[in-house]
Amino acid sequence: MRAVTLASIRAHLPRLIASALAIVIAVGFVVATLVLNQTSRATVLDAVGAPYVGVDAVVTSDDGSGLADELDRVAALDGVAAVDTTWETGVQALLPGRTGQQYLLAESVADAPALRWQSLADGELPDAPGEIAVSERTGATVGDRFPVTSFAPDGTERDSSVTVTGVVDLGGDPTAGIYGRLWGTAEQLRAWGAVDPVELRVAGVEGVPAGDVVQQVAAALADRQVAVRTGTEQAEEAAAQLTGDTMALTAVLLVFATVAVLVAGLVIANTFAVLLAQRTRELALLRCVGATARQVRRSVLGEAALTGLAASAVGVLAGIGLAAAVSAVAEAADSPVPLSGLSVPWIAVAAGLAVGTATTLLAALAPARAATKVAPLAALRPADPAPLRSRGGALRLVLGLLLLVPGVLLMGVGVALADVLVALPGGALSFLGVVLLAQRAVPPVVGAVGRLAARLGGVPGRLAAGNATRNPRRTAATATALLIGVTLTTAMVVGAASTRATAQAGLAAQYPTDVIVQGDGSVPASLPGRLAAVDGVVAASSLTAATVTGPDGQETGVSGLDAATAAPVLRSTGDVPIPAAGEVVLPWWADSSWGIPAGGPVTFTAGDRTATLTALYGDVERPTLPVAELARLAPEAAVDTVWLRLADDADHTDVIDEVTDVATAAMPFAFVTGLASERAAIDSVLDVLLLVVTGLLGVAVVIALIGVGNTLALSVVERRQENGLLRALGLTRGQLRGLLAWESALVAGVAAVLGVLLGSFYGLVGVASVLGSYGELVLSMPWLQVGAIVLVATVAGLLASVLPARRAARTPPVAAIAG
Amino acid sequence: MPVPVMTVPGEQPASLSGAAVRAAGLRKTYGGGETAVHALAGVDVAFARGGFTAIMGPSGSGKSTLMHCLAGLDAATAGQVWLGDTELTSLRDDQLTGLRRQRIGFVFQAFNLLPVLPARDNIVLPMQLAGQRPDPAWFDDVVARLGLRERLGHRPHELSGGQQQRVAIARALLPRPDVVFADEPTGNLDSRSGAEVLGLLRSSVKETGQTVVMVTHDPSAAAYADRVVLLADGRLAGELTDPTAASVLDALRGLGA
Repeated sequence: MRAVTLASIRAHLPRLIASALAIVIAVGFVVATLVLNQTSRATVLDAVGAPYVGVDAVVTSDDGSGLADELDRVAALDGVAAVDTTWETGVQALLPGRTGQQYLLAESVADAPALRWQSLADGELPDAPGEIAVSERTGATVGDRFPVTSFAPDGTERDSSVTVTGVVDLGGDPTAGIYGRLWGTAEQLRAWGAVDPVELRVAGVEGVPAGDVVQQVAAALADRQVAVRTGTEQAEEAAAQLTGDTMALTAVLLVFATVAVLVAGLVIANTFAVLLAQRTRELALLRCVGATARQVRRSVLGEAALTGLAASAVGVLAGIGLAAAVSAVAEAADSPVPLSGLSVPWIAVAAGLAVGTATTLLAALAPARAATKVAPLAALRPADPAPLRSRGGALRLVLGLLLLVPGVLLMGVGVALADVLVALPGGALSFLGVVLLAQRAVPPVVGAVGRLAARLGGVPGRLAAGNATRNPRRTAATATALLIGVTLTTAMVVGAASTRATAQAGLAAQYPTDVIVQGDGSVPASLPGRLAAVDGVVAASSLTAATVTGPDGQETGVSGLDAATAAPVLRSTGDVPIPAAGEVVLPWWADSSWGIPAGGPVTFTAGDRTATLTALYGDVERPTLPVAELARLAPEAAVDTVWLRLADDADHTDVIDEVTDVATAAMPFAFVTGLASERAAIDSVLDVLLLVVTGLLGVAVVIALIGVGNTLALSVVERRQENGLLRALGLTRGQLRGLLAWESALVAGVAAVLGVLLGSFYGLVGVASVLGSYGELVLSMPWLQVGAIVLVATVAGLLASVLPARRAARTPPVAAIAG
Repeated sequence: MPVPVMTVPGEQPASLSGAAVRAAGLRKTYGGGETAVHALAGVDVAFARGGFTAIMGPSGSGKSTLMHCLAGLDAATAGQVWLGDTELTSLRDDQLTGLRRQRIGFVFQAFNLLPVLPARDNIVLPMQLAGQRPDPAWFDDVVARLGLRERLGHRPHELSGGQQQRVAIARALLPRPDVVFADEPTGNLDSRSGAEVLGLLRSSVKETGQTVVMVTHDPSAAAYADRVVLLADGRLAGELTDPTAASVLDALRGLGA
């Protein structure tokens, strides 16, 4: 039988390759996820753990007390060759090319070469005070000189000037892009005010194992509350703190990978079913000449196993290649994702091979069982055009409903309670139910739509509708694969759009102003105009300030707000209302300390002038009244704050940098708060997530479309005689191509529309249950994207019909008679 | 009663303008060089309007290939085929397809009907493909003669083999084609259903003047025809007029079948 198995694989190779593509993609996805995860961990370990990797022992203070005093005690130990501690502080530096000062993290470099971990992109590490090395983020180069302002523990400022001797390459450190860093000698760092280092790094004498060094150091410091670890342990500890989030991401990725594998399984099962149905007579002939049912089954499963294994092997290679490409792109783009080089864990290879082969085998199991039930006599009968009957239909119906109904109820409860932990299992249950019921529900829907197509598409449309409904199981399996992909993609798109709308509304209420510029005292009169003129700033509003006497007789600072200019600046007045004439917005603390109810009168006095206003409450720092009222009450009130609104499409970071430069040039101690960048950051994270998730689920849709193309190709082969008859009776080649295009558009279109409806439902339920508890929920339907999904799936389905249709059109009419 | 047209192998039948279908120097070669197989090695034949002709010959004699070439289902390697005044071998695929659905009817041995369509739709299929509506009176007449009135809503798998062949004949007759080609129409039927089908073909020739060309290997089926054309090794090997089962059998024995 082995000869039969191999010969049959050879004979059906093109068909098997087409279906194996689904497995290749799914396995590639799984492997790429695992490899990228491992690569990211290795990169983080390399980068974050760099100070510890080459070190024998690391001492960390448990109680936060300084360890500088222990340097000598540890250095005196037998097994210790060198010991170093990292002095650390923050400084403000005016970097070359910038007009405002920036925060930099400053650390000391070790004296002993064994403990110097920094890898240099250029120049050398500093050896004397006044010399420093910088990280690439600072933009400084070797030879640059710039002023540094440091702060002593008591707060006194000290200015100094430093020369750059080297540029440090931080590799894949994910924190490298957040702020600039600089390194100086320990002496320099102490001069800058660094105190109480809490970590010692110890290099052992050559030949002494790290474990022994750790023991010696631990024994010597037994009187201190310290943890002593090997360098490797410390590096892993440091990496683990950063990769906690990466692990969560991997879990999410693996969920998508599971979806891809499931869809691939459906496609494979479908392909094998048709492949074997085609070979019914061949298998029956084998039975006629003496093969037992078991031998036939083993041969079929052997074919599946070999196909699965080969496809998985290709998938593993494809996955590693994909991961390498992603890693290379991430590295080249200097993205904050920690990826550099490639680490392939053996488990990824094993898991890829196992998952792919097992999926193929499992998927082939049911078709193989059906195929081996063939009676030997079938070989002698002419091909039976009767449809394959769907078995276990009643069981499927009952099981589907048993899953669907409680699932939907659970989802309802989840939405009502705004508890995603209730809605999630409900969603999973009901979706399983939907998948089971789809086998029953899809063919009638295709039939109904087909009747419509029959009116529009003439005879080809009518024949296509008939073909699509004739083998309900095949149609349902094809449609189900596409349905799952489209449902998940739509759910994600709808969910993400609503999450984004909700988050944007929340962010706008939370950060109504994009940029706040506050002066140290009053703002020069020309500054608001110059800030408004910065490219990317679309509106500006100046706030005046004065000190008046509150209703409790205490002095209080108040702000004057110009409603006309403030309204276009504020993104939301939900939390920060604009006071109308005769009104004042009070901060929440006024409620308890002044005891004034909302809507009640509140009186401010300044000298002999008084103003009585109606109280509102809002998220303001100081009582805020219309600027005209404040000018009447306190004529000396001057501008001390400027609010700016930035253009939505501007690069907020760049604009804020420029605003900072303009403001600090006019007022050295201006304080610029760029809430816009925070909002933009959150917004762009949501955008990227949406894009990534959609892309990942797109993989499932692509696999499903391969299935559509496969099914169609197989049904063309299956219907060779029928197509030959049609051609003999006068169906032109164009009409035959039309027939197949209608057929695939029908199946793909119905699956896409059903998937979009289901996906929208799941997406909205998901958002309602996740975000329901976070206050105001904004539901948003991304009609454009949803429409695009339907269109893409249907058009792709149509495209999937092109190759099979070309092949079918070449069917000679004689094929009908030749049989 | 139309007079069968006599032909002599090698002679141009161009003068026979009354023929429904005729072929001249028809060759069909598979493969090339030393392994070339000549399924048709130069056939000149004509079939008169309103005649019922059977093509007979041993297995491999080229009778099916001849029919495929005459019906525009297969392209000849050399030679010409006329359907009335239309020369087929120079037509493009779409023209041939259109010609098939309007001017030629088919009855095959098996797999005659589309399983998805009920009998009525199968019958009108070629006319629908051509974008035409059948004449209702003619449709009723054909259906009545073939005894299918009660069966029009049935799908092929709900019909017996004989009924399926009757549906195929109805489909072939409905567009009033120039010629109906039947390829072993009784090959899959029991003898009673077979006789019924042959009788129906015969009566369509007698009553409506339909031209029928039938390929068969069954002498008793050939006896229903007006004329039998014998084929051997891709060449014409004689013919019989007003055949009987016994005379056909004798003629076949003469060919060494």
